[in-house]
Parts: sequence; structure tokens; C-alpha cells
Amino acid sequence: MRLTLKSFAENLLVAADVFIVFLLIAGSSVIVPMWLMPIGRMHPLLLHFPIVLLMLAMVLEYFRFKSIYTQEHLYQSFASGLLLTSVVFSAITVIMGLFLSKESAYGGSLLNWHKWTGVSVVFLGSLIYWCRNALWYKASAAKTGAVLLTLVLIITGHYGATLTHGDNFVLEPVSKPKAIPKVPIEQAMVFENVILPIFTQKCLSCHNLEKAKGGLVLTDAQSVIKGGKTGPLYVPGNAQMSLLLQRIHLPMDEKKHMPPKDEAQLTNDEMDILKFWVQQNAELKKKVLELADTDSLRILAATYLTPIEAIIEEEEDYDFSAANEEDVKKLNNNYRSVSPLAKNSPALSVTIFNKGSFKLSVLKELEPIRKQIISLNLSGMPVSDEYLKQISEFINLRKLNLNFTMVKGGGLKYLKKLASLRALSLSGTDVTFKFVNEYTANSTIKRLILWETKLNPAEIKQLQKQYIKILIVGGFDGIGQFSSKLNPPKLNVESSLFKQAFNLELKHVIKGVEIRYTLDGSDPDSLKAMLYKNPIPVSTNIVLKIRSYKKGWISSDMIEFPLYKSSYKPDSISNVLLPEENLNGGRAPALIDAQFGTVNIFQGRWAGYIKNNMETLMLFKQPVLVQSVGLNAIRHLENNALLPQVVEVWGGKDSRHLKLLGTNHPTAAKKGDQPLIVTMEIQFKPQLLSCIKLVAKTIKKLPQWHPGKGNPPVLFVDEILIN
Amino acid sequence: MEKNFLEHGLNFNRRRFLSKLSLGLGSVALGSLLIPDLFTSAMDEAGLPPGIPDFAPKAKRVIYLFQNGAPSQLESFDYKPKLREMMGQELPASVRAGQRLTGMTANQASFPLVGSFYDFKQYGQSRAWISDLFPHTAKVVDDICIIRSMHTEAINHDPALTFFQTGAQQGNRPSMGAWLSYGLGSENKNLPAFTVLLSRGKGNGQGVYSKLWTNGFLDSTHQGVQFSAGEDPVLYLKDPDGLNRFERRKMLDKLAEMNSISYKEFGDPEINAKVQQYEMAYRMQTAVPEITDVSKEPDDIIKMYGSDCLVPGTFSANCLLARKLSENGVRFVQLYHQGWDQHGNLPNEMAGQAKDVDQASAALITDLKQRGLLDETLVIWGGEFGRTNYSQGAMTKENYGRDHHPRCFSIWMAGGGIKPGVYGETDEFGYNVIKDPVHVHDFQATVLHQLGLNHEKLIFKHLGRRYRLTDVSGKVIKDIIA
Repeated sequence: MRLTLKSFAENLLVAADVFIVFLLIAGSSVIVPMWLMPIGRMHPLLLHFPIVLLMLAMVLEYFRFKSIYTQEHLYQSFASGLLLTSVVFSAITVIMGLFLSKESAYGGSLLNWHKWTGVSVVFLGSLIYWCRNALWYKASAAKTGAVLLTLVLIITGHYGATLTHGDNFVLEPVSKPKAIPKVPIEQAMVFENVILPIFTQKCLSCHNLEKAKGGLVLTDAQSVIKGGKTGPLYVPGNAQMSLLLQRIHLPMDEKKHMPPKDEAQLTNDEMDILKFWVQQNAELKKKVLELADTDSLRILAATYLTPIEAIIEEEEDYDFSAANEEDVKKLNNNYRSVSPLAKNSPALSVTIFNKGSFKLSVLKELEPIRKQIISLNLSGMPVSDEYLKQISEFINLRKLNLNFTMVKGGGLKYLKKLASLRALSLSGTDVTFKFVNEYTANSTIKRLILWETKLNPAEIKQLQKQYIKILIVGGFDGIGQFSSKLNPPKLNVESSLFKQAFNLELKHVIKGVEIRYTLDGSDPDSLKAMLYKNPIPVSTNIVLKIRSYKKGWISSDMIEFPLYKSSYKPDSISNVLLPEENLNGGRAPALIDAQFGTVNIFQGRWAGYIKNNMETLMLFKQPVLVQSVGLNAIRHLENNALLPQVVEVWGGKDSRHLKLLGTNHPTAAKKGDQPLIVTMEIQFKPQLLSCIKLVAKTIKKLPQWHPGKGNPPVLFVDEILIN
Repeated sequence: MEKNFLEHGLNFNRRRFLSKLSLGLGSVALGSLLIPDLFTSAMDEAGLPPGIPDFAPKAKRVIYLFQNGAPSQLESFDYKPKLREMMGQELPASVRAGQRLTGMTANQASFPLVGSFYDFKQYGQSRAWISDLFPHTAKVVDDICIIRSMHTEAINHDPALTFFQTGAQQGNRPSMGAWLSYGLGSENKNLPAFTVLLSRGKGNGQGVYSKLWTNGFLDSTHQGVQFSAGEDPVLYLKDPDGLNRFERRKMLDKLAEMNSISYKEFGDPEINAKVQQYEMAYRMQTAVPEITDVSKEPDDIIKMYGSDCLVPGTFSANCLLARKLSENGVRFVQLYHQGWDQHGNLPNEMAGQAKDVDQASAALITDLKQRGLLDETLVIWGGEFGRTNYSQGAMTKENYGRDHHPRCFSIWMAGGGIKPGVYGETDEFGYNVIKDPVHVHDFQATVLHQLGLNHEKLIFKHLGRRYRLTDVSGKVIKDIIA
């Protein structure tokens, strides 16, 4: 029984070997019938058996001629039987593998390697089996054969695994992801930097040079144009007819959906990018910025590209060791901050403050950590060109900030030593074109800040043209786009109320501004209106109109500032009728506090009346000579504020002996009236008064044209003026 | 008395020792099995500040232009033409989906949709829609990332502001600037790590209060220091008349000596914090005047920020000051611009507010960029919540108001490793987020991440539990990171 089985197996091995040779010779002319395909696909299922069996057989083979085993019958026959079994198994596995390789999904050099090493395993195994009883076959031959076969077996297995699981399957979780080089939008190409990265991330694990599933390789422009076995990848300008887009838009369950179900899928944006790219004739040599501003492809692509700032800040693994912690601690003081970039990072970032205490030694002391400093900020320090020599000792510097230092450029040549420097800021220094140009040529720099330097715009343009890979910032050239409107000048008084004549002073925060003003109510223009030079004497009620002008600036809004004389302040004041309590979220303010309200009525300076009329009684201990009484109120239609119907002034020696001294009827509001603050003044014959009563009668309903028609308006008053 | 103290100390130590020994060792062993990174935690038991980023940071500093009162997203960065089409029609209940209302509109009989009074246009690489109220911001659109899908939990100003700043609606937690100061330490030891600048627009405003820049339970050195607009930017910093710096020094030395005696006796860490604050104040006496002096700023800079930047206390002046502070190593500069609470009279008031902030915000970005500082400075612009798509109170095409709306609003971020573009989307009514929602905790986690801090590791133990800025949620928005 055992014999027959053995001879059957031997025959089978011969047949299999011959069949393998046939398959190899016939090559591509063999077509595997449909019903055999499942057998082919069982290749990955079966292959683990021959691997283990062969390995074991080779161990036995290796020690076969050892003296203690030569007489062991069981050992010898087991070794022989195991070898035969495993070689037959591997032959069958190879045949299955060859079937599988005929399916279109596989291709590329990786498959070839796997195929030929696999076949070698079978033939090497067969050879060992047929020769192992020959006379010349001795210990040395057995050992060589065993080692050789094991090696080939391992290599075969490795190629097979890579074919199935992709490159670096085992170490993937612990190895760093391969970074796609980041490209700023200014330099980005549509194909190279937008389309290709999508392929690289989502398609390349199968469609690479080695695997080339479906005959498709997506590593470079040439192979992308070529397409795969099914045909070209796309029809330029016609997304619908393009295989690429058909496949990625197939339903997930569809077998031909790409990327395959278990793989990372394309995002909607990525699919759109591919679509727009094909629609625009699948250009291979276009820059992203050459596309129109509104182009969908450009807009989408922009989100995939990295701003240059991010490239400068890019994290990296530093190849230097950490500094001594004690040194770092010691170097930190009130004016020098030395801090690690992050936990477990050897990199240090240094900032120096306080120009008063800055000298060369502040930098020299950094010697113990010179290798660890990657960022140095000396902004505003009195750093001169010679200091740059010291700075060039910090050989791992990535970022150097020399803004507003005393550098003139002569020392930039020292910085050439800094091979890792990425960003250099020279804003506000006196560097010149010559030095900057000299430095920039063959430097590693990625960003150069040159705002507020001696370089003129033309020179900066030239640099930008010359070094397209470097982001050169010459400052913001759109100042004109900002509205450079002046603000109004400042006055030396806050209150509009004054008791005695005084000098009004005007000031403007910006140097060299012309302040022009009028006192006659006309608009102050830039030519004829009075130019403010000396303080303006004020003794009566006036309305000051002011505007500021400066060359290169838009003139300010006009401010209107009324000044009221109020000679007397009553010794006591009481409201006969109370104002509304809650209009301003608190108590109504006093009417004789010299606090004037503004158009912004919610500042709490206005007292408001809705239900009640305003009725206020003022008493003087000593009679005063009065000839006019004024009341300040605001009309503000948006806030339902109207002036009163009528203002009445009553006067006498006490509250029981009052007579009407005069009235004032303000003009009624019209639709569209702008906010206005007015003094309703009532003049009468000068007389001695100890008691004055002021009454302002509110309008009961907002007029018909007002959005709040029917509701009661508010009367806002802020100050009473007695002269 | 002294004996009592000593005994108390020993007692404490003995108890602690025993509990550590019995339970401690066992639980540590078990803990390290269950939580592998137990020992790599950013902070040890004693709650010492980490002071070093967890990973290499993209941003070193933050300037937060907080628009206090909640600017309407529908008149700024979230373009909804549908609302104009449906002007005056009722907000569908299916869209509102039971959203609670504030007390101000809860009794309103109808919710008429109202479209933006202002037109929108598309700008830049990202083709972002920006309203005509923000023409300068539109010019720097390629430098900013507009997030249109912010949402929050609170519906009223105080809780919403507190939530944004401290991660909780009740105010007892440290604010974002304090957390950063705690997590990263100060860059420039002559200035506080966290400063606050206030300004006020003409629009209807809401108050700000020091609870928003509190250190909470953190050491008080992390508290925000307010710079005011007056002659003394930092109150009580100047020496009183008749006291010179030499005498001040002597006084501080003596004080520190006494404080250290007191610390030895009581061990209260606040004593040391106090000493540090005195010392910093002493150094600030020279550092602050130098920074607040804007007289050396070139004309172009003044033009860029607008001439108001020389008027202390304006938003524009605060932006310029923020740049100077940030340039000098202040980690977190917090601006508040008040006046964005447009319940009524929105078109008018919002125009004024936008005018206050638009130019200076854009100028700040441009200015940082031309100094090579934008990559390391994170600039944030936004309010505490959004505003409703329906009108509050009477509505005309030119005049309407909008109530508070927590479900969606827009903010923008720039620099500091944030990828410019537009992120997130709301429905066509501008009412609900439909794509890539960003919760306030997500926003906070992202800000911390940009500064190199893991928001789950930046913790402080207080009253027996560990606290985080992001409470128990928050995820970093990876999509907006360059």
C-alpha cells in the first residue's frame, strides 16, 4: 500500500514538473478556462503547506548524514516521504499560481520574480529528491541543497506576500508614513502636484511598477497616458467616456469599482478633481496658478496644496542629541527665553528680549546649546552685522528673525554656513539688494522677509523672479486698497457746557495733520476754512465744525461740536414729574451735570420721558439775573425720539409765585430727518429769579409715516442751560 | 500652636504614605495596564504645570479678536440667498425642529425669515462668500479659514461667552488664555502671558467682565492682565510720586523675604505666585511703556490699521497693540469688541460695527504676514453664537433684528498652521449645520493643538477631579490644519 502510494506520488511529481515546463514555455498563448480559475485562486490558500513541509524536510535533509541518524530507519524514511510530499505539494501550488497569474489582475516585475523563484523551488526540490540516493550525494551536497532551497523558498514567499499585501505590510504600523513632498501653490503643477498625489495615495499599492494590476501603472505621466490592459485611462475632454471615472463611480458592490472595496476610497473632492482634470483635456504641463481664479479645478486643488508657511514649520526628526537640561535652565533668564520645541524633542527655540541689556555675550553664552537651537528671535535687538558670525555657529538653525535689528547686510555671508536655514526675516533693517542677492544665490532658504528694507519694489520683483522657489515677501503692496481716512481731531474739553470764557485746544494723533474749522456753521473745507494754529478763545455759544486734512490721506468726517455757556447752576433741582426709570437700564441722569448725550442715545446720558411730560423745578439760594433758559434734546427717528411739542419757562421768587416767561415750539419732525441734537432756547427780559420751572410737553403719538406709528415717542433731554 | 502645625503636617504625610503604600502600588500597577499612557501624562499628581508643548507646535501665540455680542453670520460670512427669496415667509417648523428660543422672541407670534440687507460676493482662492460689510477681510481671504459650521450650547450672552472662554457655562473655570499660560508658560518674562484689551462699538452692546479672563482654580499668575486705554495702560504699575526704582527694588526684596518666611510656615502656593507677580510688575514697569508707545510706527502701518489706531481704546488701536504684545512674546492676547448684539436696527448697527473692526482685522493679518510672524501667530475672529434667520420684532427690508442662535455661526482663523479656505456648511435657511459641524470644544481642542498641546492631557486636578478646557469632549479639526 505504502509503495503504491509512493510510486503514485513520484509519477505525479514527474507529470507536474512536465506540466509546469509546458506552462512556462507556452507562456501567454495558454488561456485558462473559466472553470479552472477557482483552482488558480486557491493558490494563496494552499501555499502555506508546502512552505512549512519543505522547511521541515530541508531540516531533516540537512542532518541526514549525521552519524547518529544514518542508522535510524524511521528518520530516513520519514525524511524521504516528507520531501516527496512537500515537493508534490509545491508543484501543485506552482501550477495553481501559474493559473492565477494568467488572470489580468496581476502583472509587473514583482510577479515575474515570484513566478521564477517559485518554479525554482519545485525544480530544486525535485532535483534533490531524485538525486538524494545517488552515490555522489554526500553530506556536503545535502547541506548545500537544503540551505539553497530554504533561501529560495523564503525569497519566493516574500515576493508572494508583497504581491498580496503590498509593500512593507509587516512594518507598516511602526514605520513612518512616506511623506508626500509638500508644494506651495505658487509652484504647484496640476498633474505632478495634484493629480499624481491622489494616485499615489489611493491607487499605487496595486498599480505600481512591480504589481501593475490590470497592466496599469500610475507612477508617472508616461504610464498614465499608456493606460492598462482594458484600454487608455481617459479620453481627454470627455469625463463620461473615461475608464478612470467610470471605474471610480461604479457602485461599491460592483466588482470593478475602484479602489477595491476594502481599500481606502477616494473622497468626493478627489473624484471631482479627477473629473475636472479630464474635462480640461487632462493637461500634464500646466501650473495650478495658470488656471483661472474661478476655475473649479484650481479652487479644489488649492485645498490640497500646502501654504508655504506650513512647509517652513514642517516637523522633522532632528539628528542631534538633546542639550543638557541644566544648561537650558541656566541660560533661561528674564531677558532670554530658551525653550524646548516639544516634549522629547532635542530642538530649542531662543528669544531675546530687552534691547537695553543685549550684547554679544548674550549670544556667546549660548555656546553649550549651539547645536540644538533651531529658532532664534532677535527682533528689535541691536544686532549688527558682526554678530551674524556668532549666529552662524548655531549650525542647526531653521528660522532666524532679525526684524528691526541694525543689520545692514554685510554679515549675511556668514549665514551661508547655516545649511538648514529655511526662514529669514529682515523686516525693518537697512539691508541692501547687493547683499541680499549675494546671500540668496545658492542658499537653502525658503522664505525671506524683506518688508521695510532698503530694497525698492523693483529690486524685490527682480529677486522674486530670479528665485521662484523662494517666497520673498516685500511687504504689502496694496496699502492703497485700505481706506486711509483720517479720524477727527481731539478737543481739550469733553463737555459742551462752559461757565466762563476759555481757550479751546485741538490736537490730532497723526503728525502733520492740518486741522481746519469754522465757527459760522459752514462746512470747513481744505482751503478757505480757518487753519488751527493756536487755541481758539470761546466766550459765547458757538457751533464748532472741524475736519482734519493731510496729504495722502482721505480727510476726516466733519465733527460738529456745540459749546454752550451756562452761567448758573441751581442749588437744587427736583423733577415734578419723573422720567422713565428703565430706558437706559438705570436711573435717569441729572439735567445739570454738564454731561451731554451723543447721537448714541444708549450711553445713559439722556433722561427719557414717555408717559410724563418733563417738568423740573430749580431753586437758587440767592436770586440770579437770568435772561435765557435753554433745554437740550435729541431727535432720533430710528429710536422713536422726538422733540417736545412745546417748551415753557416759568419763573418767580418761589414755587408758588411763578409766571410764564416764554415758550419755544420746535419744528415738527419730517420723514427721513437725520438725528439732531438741538438747544431749545427761550429768551426773556433779564430779571432776578430764585425759582425756575421748566416744562416740556411730549407728543403723544408717533406720526403716521413712522414705522412705529401709534406708539408714544420718547422725549430725550440731557441738560438745562441758564444764563 | 507651632506644635499643632507640625503635628498636622506629620499626620498628613503619614496618612498619605500609608494610603500610597497599600492601595497606591497595586493601583498604579493595574492602572498602567489599563491605561498605557498613565505615566506619560502631561502632569504629575502634584499638578505641576507642564510648561512644554506635547508636540512641536505650529503656533506660538494667539490673538483672539472676540466680537462680543455675537455678530450675525447671515450678514457676514454665511451667504443664504434663499432667505432673500423667502423674505417675510414663516420659518418652517421642520427647520426649527424644536430649537428653544430666548425670552426675547419666545412670545413672538410669527418668525418671518429675513435675508441679508447686504450683498455678498465671492473672493479668493476658496471663492468664499463675504458680505459687502467686510471689504478688507475679503482682501485677505486667502489667508483665513472661514468656519461656517460653528455651534454652541448656550443661548444667552453670559453663559455662551463663558463657555467659549472656559469650556463650561458656569464661571469657575480657567479661561483659554490662562490654560495656555499654564500649559506653555510665558515666553517673555517681562510681560504677562495673557493680556486683555477692550473696545466698544456704537452698536447695542453686552458687558464683559473679568470672569472671562480668570485663572479659575489655576495659579493666579495665569490670570489675564487687562491693558486699558488711559494714560496708565496697566493700572497701578507706575511708582507713586516720590518713590524711585531703587527704593522700589529694596521694598520688593524685603517683601519677598517676608513672603518666603510665610511660605515656609504655611506652604500656600499662592504666596509664591504673589512674589512672582510683584517681580513681573517690576519688570513690566520698563517693558510696558516701550510696547504701548506707537509713535514709531511707520505711516504705512497707521494707514493700514486706519488712523483710529492712534486713538487708544479703539478696536483698531487694540489690534495694533495686540500685534506689538504678540511680537514681544505675549502668548495670548484677548481682544473684546463690544456692540454686536443686533436685536433690532441690524443693518444700520452692523454696518457701524463692521466698519470698526474690518480694516484693522485685515491689517493685523497683513502686518503679521509681512513680518514673517503669521505662521507662528494664530489669529481668531468671531463671537459667542450666531443670530436667527428670522426677524426679531417689526421687519422691513431695510430694518430688522435678529435674536440669538446657537445652532450655527461663522468664525474665522488665520495663521498658526491653519489652512486657509472655507470649512463646514449650513442648510439653505442658515439655521442648522449640515456638514462638518464644529462644536466649541472642538474649536478649543484645535486651538490647543496648534499650540502643541493635547487637550486631553492639559489637565488640572481640583476639588478631587481633573479638569480640562474641553471638559469631557472635543476633537481636533484635522481638516483645517495645514
